[in-house]
Amino acid sequence: MTTADSVLVRPRALAVGGLGTLRRHPLILVLAVMVLVFQVSTGSFLDPANLRGIATDAATLAIVAVPLALLVISGYLDLSVGSTLALGGLVAGWLAGQGQSPVLAVLGGLAAGAAVGAVNGVLCCYFGLSAFIVTLGMLTAVRGLAQQLFPLPLSGFGPGFAWLGGSRIAGIAAPVVIAALVLVAGALFLALTPAGRHVFAIGVNREAAYLSGISIRRTPFALFVVTGVAAALAGSIKASVLDSAVGGTSGAGFELTVLTAVLLGGVALSGGSGSVLGVLLGVLFLGSLQNGLTLLDVPTFWQQMAQGTALVAGAALAHFAPRSAR
Amino acid sequence: MTEEGLRIRGLTKSFGGVRALDRVDLTVPMGQVHALLGHNGAGKSTLIKCLGGAFPPDSGTIEVGGRAYERLSPRESITAGVAIIFQTLSVVDALTVSENIFLGQEWTRYGWIDRRAQEEVAAGLLERVAATCSPRDRVGELPMGQRQLVEIAKALSRSASVLVLDEPTAALSTAESDALAERVEDLRTQGLAIVYVTHLLAEVERLADAVTVLRDGRVAHHAVGAGQRRRDLVAAIAGRPAETPDKTPDKAPVGDTDTTPRATTSPAAHVARGVGPSDGGLVLEGLRGPGFGPVSLTVGSGERVGLYGLIGSGRTRILETLYGRRRASGGTVRVGDRTVAAARPGDALAAGIALVPADRRRQGLFPTLSAHDNALLPAVRPLSRSGVRALGAERRVFDALAGAVGLRPARPRLPAGSFSGGNQQKLVLGRWINDTRGIRALLLDEPTQGVDVGAREEIYRVVRSLAEDRGTAVLFASSDPEEIVELADRCLVVAGGRVVGELSGAELTEEALLSAVHEASDVSVSADVSVSADVSTSADVSGISDPSDATPAHQQSVTAEGAV
Repeated sequence: MTTADSVLVRPRALAVGGLGTLRRHPLILVLAVMVLVFQVSTGSFLDPANLRGIATDAATLAIVAVPLALLVISGYLDLSVGSTLALGGLVAGWLAGQGQSPVLAVLGGLAAGAAVGAVNGVLCCYFGLSAFIVTLGMLTAVRGLAQQLFPLPLSGFGPGFAWLGGSRIAGIAAPVVIAALVLVAGALFLALTPAGRHVFAIGVNREAAYLSGISIRRTPFALFVVTGVAAALAGSIKASVLDSAVGGTSGAGFELTVLTAVLLGGVALSGGSGSVLGVLLGVLFLGSLQNGLTLLDVPTFWQQMAQGTALVAGAALAHFAPRSAR
Repeated sequence: MTEEGLRIRGLTKSFGGVRALDRVDLTVPMGQVHALLGHNGAGKSTLIKCLGGAFPPDSGTIEVGGRAYERLSPRESITAGVAIIFQTLSVVDALTVSENIFLGQEWTRYGWIDRRAQEEVAAGLLERVAATCSPRDRVGELPMGQRQLVEIAKALSRSASVLVLDEPTAALSTAESDALAERVEDLRTQGLAIVYVTHLLAEVERLADAVTVLRDGRVAHHAVGAGQRRRDLVAAIAGRPAETPDKTPDKAPVGDTDTTPRATTSPAAHVARGVGPSDGGLVLEGLRGPGFGPVSLTVGSGERVGLYGLIGSGRTRILETLYGRRRASGGTVRVGDRTVAAARPGDALAAGIALVPADRRRQGLFPTLSAHDNALLPAVRPLSRSGVRALGAERRVFDALAGAVGLRPARPRLPAGSFSGGNQQKLVLGRWINDTRGIRALLLDEPTQGVDVGAREEIYRVVRSLAEDRGTAVLFASSDPEEIVELADRCLVVAGGRVVGELSGAELTEEALLSAVHEASDVSVSADVSVSADVSTSADVSGISDPSDATPAHQQSVTAEGAV
């Protein structure tokens, strides 16, 4: 009666393992089959070096996908993350290039991301405008702002700044460590904080949440800001890895890739349901797909077609499969 | 006269073991108005929905225009000649009058809509229902009465032979109601068979050629011909034999009390319980808001007070304003010795006022979240320690409240949507019966709507014990007189956004409530008939003049959320 009982209230996001998890996340099976196919056909997919490559590529995706997933669960959406990623990377890189300390440079980038997130958040949560429209507009506007501020590509950020993307912590690439922290923080937030419960409640039924006395604006607003910060962090990491940032192209299309990962991970676009484990699976799926197809020398256009098809197929499966207890 | 427009025989429909309709017969010849009465949950809506094809009946037949159906699809219902005008009209606000009338049956010429021909025909139809709007008016800009006529015109355009009006005057002003009554009389002479659902006995007396009263899904009373005895109808609605209530309905206190409404605010009830306004109960003084007020009332600690009124009477608004869901425009609210100015539900909760809303699906429940999440939602933060949820304490609170409300099954992880209606309501109610929020005044709006009989008893038990054991002040609104009599120590009758009468003790009976509210509503109707609209009085007296109270809750929720 003791452990079993605490398991009963153990929130879903913490539940890892067991058949129930498999039923809720059929993507696990798909991922496993895909990995097997890639390993057999390439012979090198599971090499440690290749796995490290996948993890590093997927890290920036995961860092943004987690807060974006929380936002989607609470019934909102952020399409502006690709442009915010560019702006954050540019600001951080520029500050570093100006000789600022790398820490200050990254903080500057994050502040730019927070500002974008705050604008999104005020317009969507406090003024009640449609998140789709607001963040679609911001996607374009922030891209324009980034190019206006930094018309020329930036590079030469210095060795200190390169640490963010290139260093290893206990043998693991720093971006992967950061992504892992973000994933764990996201899961703990959903499972163990009151605000985590509120995110679900607001996403399922805003009116009922409001009538339960929950502040239905503060939490989603904070999530917009966090998403902006996360996008800027991802941008800083990319700028650090590449030692360059370009206003016109950095993070172009990134918003759709992140959203694809989030939706593949089983987060409902209508809000109210989703888990961090699912997001992790979605991110790993996209990362593995891209990597494996590249190893097989599949042309980029085919890769894009595969990615898109996967999303639609996933949605079709979820739609037609008998709905298991959520 | 012999031709039968509508003949329903032995119609039976159950929902999960509850008989919503039990062998109901209803015959409406062409050229007659048949009034359908009965209080909420009596089966009127189910009957209409079977007729309109929304529900398939379990057994029985529906005969329209001489053809018998065992079940109707919505399309069959329309082609058979049935037109139903629901309280919440189904016109499209963004389209013009003629576009609405021809929606789904557009007249085309070479593939294009023949607007001119449509407008000509629409003008003719509008004339037939004596509507004053033009075919080119946008429906969203018309008053409720005109919108309703547009919908009736639409029914005529489909050559409907059976017209069902579901509480058509609930959202109308008194002048509009009177105009509608004339239209109904016209349509009767034009040969339509009309089913007229209403709560207002004055309308029955004016319009009905025959009356059927439903109660608990059965025909409780049926009479043909004018001169319906009001007391027979009231008795049938309330479910008492017609012989006994000789005294009670006549004693209906409202006629007298509306001169001295609050003078009678039975101090006896307080004295009996040894409670008064300063003992921690709920006190409203002159509370007013859009569509109601001023309202003054006192609910002593441990007292259960009912608010009884029809749709649009303002009972829901009073509760929602108290809870900060709507903004008050004046007056004060006190809980104990603390004055509360609730701008949002959070403020009201901080002061110890909680609300169980009427529309469970839209305002109460999180169907995909677990029972645990549903019941514990407002308690999660107070229970948490340094920002981290106290899962053990949450579980103990859940177990305690599941036991207290008799939740079945008492499984915390089951999604709330998979519980029965009664158990869903227990989850919503359960939110406020733990100690974490310190609730001192509990407001309930239609506490047992869509709840089966067993769960209803349990909910009453929980509410009673909240009042008796914890001294919670309970204020609940209901349109079901049975519920009021069952649960209330004292009842305030609400009409036109005001308290127009009070009943307690032995005088608190279903008959008295029904007469009270019908008298109160009839005041507005008759006032309007006799004197041509003294605007100020009719606005004051008529609770049915405010259309927004009758709009469905989801529409309200959208606007309110944008506004807050």
